Amino acid sequence: MADLAHEQTMDLGHPEHESTGVDNRKLGMWAFLSSEFLFFGALISNYLLYSNRPGFAGVYPSEIYDIPFTSVSSFVLLMSSLTMVLAHNALSRNDQGGTRTWLFATAALGSVFLGGQVFEFTEFITLHDMKLTTNPAASAFYLLTGFHGTHVAIGVIMLLSLWGISRRQGELSEKHGMNLELVGLYWHFVDIIWIVIFTVVYLLSVPPV
Amino acid sequence: MSVDEHTPHHPTPAQYWKIAVVLAVLTALEVALYYIHKALELGNFNSILLILLAALKFVIVVGFYMHLRYEKPTLNRFFTAGFILAASLYTIVLTALGVVTIRGG
Amino acid sequence: MTATAERPTTTIFRRPSSTTGIWSWLTTVDHKRIGIMYGYAAFFFFLIGGIEALLLRIQLAQANSEFLTAGAYNALFTMHGTTMIFLFVMPASAAFMNYLLPLLIGARDVAFPRLNALSWWIFFFGAIFLYSTFFFGTSAAPVGVDGVGGIDGNLAAGGGPGSFNFLADSPDGGWFGYQPNAGPLYSSGTAMDYWALGLQIIGLASLVSSVNFVVTVLNLRAKGMRLLRMPVFAWMTTVTSFLLLFSLPIIAVALFMVTFDRQFGSLFFAASNGGDPILWQHLFWLFGHPEVYILILPAMGIVSEILPTFSRKPLFGYSAVVFAGAAIAFLGFGVWAHHMFASGITPVAQAAFGLATMTIAIPTGIKIFNWLGTMWMGRIHLDTPMLFAIGFVAMFTIGGLSGVTHAVVPSDWQQTDTYYIVAHFHYVLFGGAIFGLFGGLYYWFPKISGRTMNETLGKVHFWLMMLGFNLTFAPMHWLGLQGMVRRTWKYAPETGLEPWNVAVTIGAFIIALSVLIFMFNWFTSRRRGRPSGLDPWDARTVEWMTPNPTPEYNFAVPPVVTRLDHFWHLKYDQDAEGRAARKADADEIIARIEHEQLNPAAPIHLPNPSYFPLVAALGLPTMFYGIIYHDALWAKALIGVGAIITLAALIGWGMEPLEEPHEGHEDHELDEELELAPGDGHDG
Repeated sequence: MADLAHEQTMDLGHPEHESTGVDNRKLGMWAFLSSEFLFFGALISNYLLYSNRPGFAGVYPSEIYDIPFTSVSSFVLLMSSLTMVLAHNALSRNDQGGTRTWLFATAALGSVFLGGQVFEFTEFITLHDMKLTTNPAASAFYLLTGFHGTHVAIGVIMLLSLWGISRRQGELSEKHGMNLELVGLYWHFVDIIWIVIFTVVYLLSVPPV
Repeated sequence: MSVDEHTPHHPTPAQYWKIAVVLAVLTALEVALYYIHKALELGNFNSILLILLAALKFVIVVGFYMHLRYEKPTLNRFFTAGFILAASLYTIVLTALGVVTIRGG
Repeated sequence: MTATAERPTTTIFRRPSSTTGIWSWLTTVDHKRIGIMYGYAAFFFFLIGGIEALLLRIQLAQANSEFLTAGAYNALFTMHGTTMIFLFVMPASAAFMNYLLPLLIGARDVAFPRLNALSWWIFFFGAIFLYSTFFFGTSAAPVGVDGVGGIDGNLAAGGGPGSFNFLADSPDGGWFGYQPNAGPLYSSGTAMDYWALGLQIIGLASLVSSVNFVVTVLNLRAKGMRLLRMPVFAWMTTVTSFLLLFSLPIIAVALFMVTFDRQFGSLFFAASNGGDPILWQHLFWLFGHPEVYILILPAMGIVSEILPTFSRKPLFGYSAVVFAGAAIAFLGFGVWAHHMFASGITPVAQAAFGLATMTIAIPTGIKIFNWLGTMWMGRIHLDTPMLFAIGFVAMFTIGGLSGVTHAVVPSDWQQTDTYYIVAHFHYVLFGGAIFGLFGGLYYWFPKISGRTMNETLGKVHFWLMMLGFNLTFAPMHWLGLQGMVRRTWKYAPETGLEPWNVAVTIGAFIIALSVLIFMFNWFTSRRRGRPSGLDPWDARTVEWMTPNPTPEYNFAVPPVVTRLDHFWHLKYDQDAEGRAARKADADEIIARIEHEQLNPAAPIHLPNPSYFPLVAALGLPTMFYGIIYHDALWAKALIGVGAIITLAALIGWGMEPLEEPHEGHEDHELDEELELAPGDGHDG
């Protein structure tokens, strides 16, 4: 996943006449992202299967959601897409300082989101006694949001790497410009998955009647 | 391939900010709907509205922030294929497991 | 011809630079070497899986046999299936794809050479991880059978977690790991964790290579190599890659769910707590059915290359074959529940999936008729590759027909979990995939060795294998219809199943003999086989337009393709009656190509070898060992160590350029001229 971002365009003497005209790495990233739909689709389906199946022991996730809190953290993640695209835009104008600032802002917003998730999980476990092992609905909730959080965390690591490279070298070279674009694609993708999760898992989910 | 090559078609920072405002408003609408849909007696229409709002946000982020609007159609096809495949396969699975129910008949 | 060793400026470590010896293999990013390593690893596991099958057959050759305990039997059939599918047929197909895809489309390597090496090493360590269960794994004895006697007799003394039983202490939940049977309650011990996490690693390897191949096909084709001029094997590689791309994430989630259930106490499949075991079946077969086509489509591609070559005719209905392959893949996503007709899914679902399954017969039939049409009126040369290809068509058709009988739901209810099913999928996967792969090995052997394999031994291999194969798997149809249950450990003499079981076991040993002959042939021919020259088979496609064995750079002059079967059309014209007639100067054309490709006008710079794929891949099994024993402190440390290894390797990877800057400015300019030479008409 992250490795895709590090592979360079091959220039091995091909007259690339029959190519799609899209950079190899970018094409690879989009192919990978399209397969991620199947990954998150399985996790969301798993949650939908169990979220309001009656008769489980313990609380259901949808009984204890803190919608105002999650709305704020969703908003934070949504706005990190704005800062990400501003970083990309700054680099295209060769505004290296701006790139660094916006990269850091994106990583910071991502971290705030992750912090919110840690807080949410802790509250669910300590205040409401809803653990991974409580019932299948709780298991499905933690698996889905946990894997999404893992994706965000990987994104934050990649953003901070780019930020670090930029600080060390004073600029991001053309090669890293493509890396920034790839990290950006990944980041926005993680964001749109959260758009779906926020609506389907948080706003629309109800406990069994 | 450098970043600048296709930049001229891309939105300007000011436009990115405007898009963010639209996204923020849509999110506010979603949350508001969550609280007032019972008072408005929307019933199932609430779910449809919420899904539409989410779809709108989804499309805006993909189209403008991921620049899919400005890319070659190949990428669009990849992305759409993955999305449609996932949506249809899991709909069938959830139907078979009795989560999604087919009305009538 | 690679860039020579230079001290890199960007990393603290010296880059690997050897071109021979063990280090050159450990650090290679050459798609051909990676393909060869995939091939040998796959063949090794073919032998292991074969030995497992032979042990199973010895047990079943006699009624009430005491040769194996129930626990050992369960472990052996689980590992036989898992090995043959994930550690043999998939990597063997990957070997062909790696070695051939760039050659078939006229490229010098895949799009991401280091990522390609990463896939291979992930696969390699994943396979070792999975098989380490034999040494480290534990498994409880099956409930309800007396485990007396057997070569693994100490199982009788209790077995189960804590004691060490080489055979019985390995995964025993079947290759499709049905829940909750393979869950924490009924498969205690760590063996099934090795299975789930091992498959997770191996799946990641396939996912990485599928991205790589898709990009390679879309972006690296030589000039003129339009999509519909690609050889069928390149097409089937593409289709298979898309199948992998979209099906692997599903099994990844399913395997994570199993791991969480077993390791962290989640309740996804725990029926007693409201979990739904049928969800596992859906997720597994959502992946598992496309997987079936992942196994067979590459072999279909190989056969589609061999049949035209040895019939001296173009492939009949090229575009129909290509589209049929794509259609099989597409439909293959919509038929998974036909594996679940006996699982209590609704009648509507049964009817829908039954009908959907039948539609697959249409594109498959199209392919079979096209292969027959290719041979019809051809000048058929019955060399060994052709024998295997014809064997493939015949055996696969039998397997396909018994497959159609499963699409009929009431009939399937009778057949589910009997030997009839075992017969069916061995006809398509052995008679299909393995025959195709062997045909491919004989056909492309000259590309890796510069020699051809011994024809006599090849024909003996084919006929013995054909005989052994049919003796093994044809009687299974009858055994199944007589009611012999799949995965049965023992049967009573009164059932009358013994005679055919004896025949099956004899057949299995004949197959083993034929494989030994193949191995002898392979290793002797590598050294002493007849030199093949550039074009041993009068071939049609561009992978033969470069000398054998393939030079490291593939093509000094990348081909400029003008039509389908480009190489053939360089050698042949139409005569007055419209028949193909070899050009008078065909041999000179071949000699000229060989000379051109052997003598590059300037040095060709290839991607440098790298340590990082190997190291990055090493981190994964390290982490996963930690997960299995996560309660212990050392295991938690191991997770951290694995994560650090992978992260550090990826950072090193990111800092390391694909190609080192070349020495000398003049050299560089020459290089650029060479690169531009074939592309003087950049019309992008």
